Amino acid sequence: MTLSILFNLLQVLVVLVFAPLMVGINGWLRERIQAKRGPHILQPYFDLWKLFHKDERISEHSTWIFRVTPYVVFVTPLFVALLIPVLTSYPLFFAFMGDMLGGGFILALGGFFLTLAAIDTGNPYGPMGASRTRMVGFLSEPVFMIVFFTVSVVAGSTIPYIVQQRWIHPLSSFFDPAHVLLLIAFFMLIVAETGRLPVDNPSGHFELAMIDESKTLEYSGKGAALMKWGGAMKFFVLMTIFVNVLVAPWGLASTRSLGAVLTALPLVLAKMAACILALVGVESSFAKLRLFRITEFLGAAFVVCVAALLIRLMEP
Amino acid sequence: MPDLHQTLSLANELNLLAAGLFLLGSFGLIATRQVLDCVAVFAWQSLMLAASAALVAHETHLGHLYVVAGITIATKTLLIPWLLTRTSSERVVARREISQTLNVPTSLLIGLGLAACAYFLAAPLEATAPGARIGVNLPIGLATLLMGAFTVTVRREALPQVLGILSMENGAFFAGLAIASGLPLFAELAAAFDVLIIALVMGLLTRKLHERTGSTAVADLTELREE
Amino acid sequence: MILLLIILLPLAAAILSFWPSHRRSIPGVVTVGATGASVVLALDVAARCASGVIMTGLSGALWCDAFGALVLVVCAFAGFTAALFSIGFTRRATHPMESLRVRRYFVRLDVFLASVLVVPVLANVAFVWIAVALTTLLSVFLVSFNRNAPALEAAWKYAVLTSMGAALALFGVLLLHWSMRAGGGHTFTWAGLNAVAKTLPLTLVKVSFLFMLVGYGTKAALVPFHAWLPDVYSQAPAAVGALLSVLETTVLPYVLLRMLPLFPGASVRWAGSWLMVFGLLSAGGAALLLIQVKDLKRLFAYSTIENAGIILAAAGMGGAAGYGAMYQLMAHALAKPFGFFAAGTAIFFLGTGQLKAMQGLGRRSPWAGAALLAGGLAVTGAPPFALFLSELSILAGGAAAHRLVPVALLTLFMVMAFSAVLYHIVRIVFGEPTGEGPVPSFPKTFALTLAISLAPVLVLGMSLPAGVQQLMRLAAATLGR
Repeated sequence: MTLSILFNLLQVLVVLVFAPLMVGINGWLRERIQAKRGPHILQPYFDLWKLFHKDERISEHSTWIFRVTPYVVFVTPLFVALLIPVLTSYPLFFAFMGDMLGGGFILALGGFFLTLAAIDTGNPYGPMGASRTRMVGFLSEPVFMIVFFTVSVVAGSTIPYIVQQRWIHPLSSFFDPAHVLLLIAFFMLIVAETGRLPVDNPSGHFELAMIDESKTLEYSGKGAALMKWGGAMKFFVLMTIFVNVLVAPWGLASTRSLGAVLTALPLVLAKMAACILALVGVESSFAKLRLFRITEFLGAAFVVCVAALLIRLMEP
Repeated sequence: MPDLHQTLSLANELNLLAAGLFLLGSFGLIATRQVLDCVAVFAWQSLMLAASAALVAHETHLGHLYVVAGITIATKTLLIPWLLTRTSSERVVARREISQTLNVPTSLLIGLGLAACAYFLAAPLEATAPGARIGVNLPIGLATLLMGAFTVTVRREALPQVLGILSMENGAFFAGLAIASGLPLFAELAAAFDVLIIALVMGLLTRKLHERTGSTAVADLTELREE
Repeated sequence: MILLLIILLPLAAAILSFWPSHRRSIPGVVTVGATGASVVLALDVAARCASGVIMTGLSGALWCDAFGALVLVVCAFAGFTAALFSIGFTRRATHPMESLRVRRYFVRLDVFLASVLVVPVLANVAFVWIAVALTTLLSVFLVSFNRNAPALEAAWKYAVLTSMGAALALFGVLLLHWSMRAGGGHTFTWAGLNAVAKTLPLTLVKVSFLFMLVGYGTKAALVPFHAWLPDVYSQAPAAVGALLSVLETTVLPYVLLRMLPLFPGASVRWAGSWLMVFGLLSAGGAALLLIQVKDLKRLFAYSTIENAGIILAAAGMGGAAGYGAMYQLMAHALAKPFGFFAAGTAIFFLGTGQLKAMQGLGRRSPWAGAALLAGGLAVTGAPPFALFLSELSILAGGAAAHRLVPVALLTLFMVMAFSAVLYHIVRIVFGEPTGEGPVPSFPKTFALTLAISLAPVLVLGMSLPAGVQQLMRLAAATLGR
């Protein structure tokens, strides 16, 4: 019982501490693959440190939403971290509170506040980014839904701890086409949802072309730090769902001992780094899509997902 | 014995995976915007056809299906893509976007509808011959057949239309792996030859079209029409 | 052995035609010789099959009964006349320096003809599919002979649509193979399928039949799938058009009708109804489209669609109409090449195929006008041509089988087509000339071709020899009723 609560809090801590590291690895790998030197792997931590020590300026025309949003964005991924298997392959104390759908809703809440805050200040770029994010969101959310439905059809549940076991028992069902196609679809969703290259260019500095970044332009100091950290944690959480729930629960602790949980940590981080490598590969080999081609990208994800469902039906 | 069972189900599962990726290939042919990528998608789809042939051969112990897999790889994944990119001149396959009569998401949705249709068509057929190991090949093959036909109608460019026809044949052969695996090897060889001729003739025709009309947007060919 | 020889002769002619030589006439002469020889051999095959023999060859790979022999003879004859017509055509249509182009034309014609002739003598259903697919691919470049944009467009439509049809038919063939295995059969031949027809799973045979009907029906240009045909015929050389027309009204119905005996008992009426639906649609649609044509070759194109429809509808009615279907199949395959050659000659004289611009042909060249008039009468079934008798026997047979509605519709469509074709042709032949121009001399090969191809239509319209009757009766018997 206490161990369960302890592990659960440990999961939250892991998300909190290692999320910027993943962002750092991502940035470093991308530059290395493109034959550049790249920033230091710990650069996101330096950035956060710097931002926390800066003054915060808040527009006097803004409302309470603008001030609350950084906290919402910061906290929501932590809540999700309570529900999903970050380190253990068995449910922990708070896992009963929600399934994958619940996690999705909590993350969406952060996105909702982010959109409101972007409109709040009256900065011309904020609403533009917000409306574009909504456009991508309108297209990606049905796909999220279909992913969860497919998962529930294939695995008979949307509780992550049950789903993850479905893919490796028996081992051959890892190659189940429904599983592989789901992975492809969810990978495309991660790309869209975290603003990666075929959909959005996270390293761009041109406000007119931005989707995700332009929403946080107005923040400074502590607010900006929380937003950045929250974004990193959202990325971390999505990756966790991908590598631990949808790919396979390999490397997770299966016994209730502190040692097992602590050894699971580097393994999970390694899995995630491998996944980031794939993501960086995609980012480096595609050009940014025109805004109205994003529908096609997400349409493709949708089709992949429904194809997974169809194959599931056709299986003898 | 349990070991044998394990490998059998693994082959089964891999065959399912090949079927899924094969189906994905036909969606790719509907939606891919670049001519060269289309050719690559077709090669990929044919590779999945060969993989499925090899897996069915493994399961049913029909040796000649391995040969069919080999022929498929040789002709459809290597020779035909090479032929199509060679016979059509450089400018035909230039990196530009293919226009479609319907936009991509709509086409994809219609493709999904066709795949669902194929599922409902195949189910009663499977019921007619009980005991046969039909598996997933029949519905997926039928879906690809229908989606290939749709590709031909929706694409306005010459090479993607050819690829649509070839993927229709792929679909028929994919279904054939399950329902007509007893066809003599010679028939399979002749069919592979036939597909090769299709690619050659259509490739040459594309080239001539490009020479004469300066374009391969075959949908713009509307000179012959009843007044 | 004879069967193999019939296929090998055109192939040998193809090789000889390609042999480089300075004399441009050699490919044509070689082709005419080879195709003439294959006509003689085909007649021999037909004579034997008429006495009830089933011929085989190449250790069972080749197989020919009365139906096959009937198709074989008319195709071989059409190939012979087409080759003869092509000699004059290529001499006029190409530059003296283009001997390579002429050689290529004859090589393609020979290879195409070989692929057509091999269909009715192949035993294995899978190989039949391959041969039918090859007939398309080998004729694509014959269609685009003119090398201009419209000809390429026609060739493209032809290749794309018929290849799509071929893929659908392939699925039908594979389903048929499945049903054969499920029914306990072992040899995937027409004879092997007939042997196990009683035990085939009916659903599979039905679905297979529908796929083949749509697939091969696209190649036969049945009405919802006919879009490519008028374009192709209007662009292809007349000889190629004649051969394609014969292909569509003999070989494709042959492949489809071979399926009929596989339906046991009462289910054959189901298949017959589908044949009638598509047949009547084609006959009616073509009859309507015939009214508005503006191009002479398109006129004959729609007439081809109409006749393919009549043949399938007649076979679908069953009973005595099956005999009428065979009669129509033969008579049309003899008459239509004549019509195409007459049209080709007329177009050659006037330099245009537009109906308006062709008026007054009779004044400018009485011979060409007379030939076109005879061609129009022959293909629409006016007495004394063979098609008149065959259409009568279809209507009589259908009425005897109590298929009154289809018979009434067919009669209506035949009369409509007859009036439409004759309306256009009479205006061409007897109309006032719209323009004057020098009339070129009448090539001897054209006259010879017209005479040779007219003879059988005329003779068979006057009297039907007992041997031919016997052949058609046996062929109708293979329909299984």
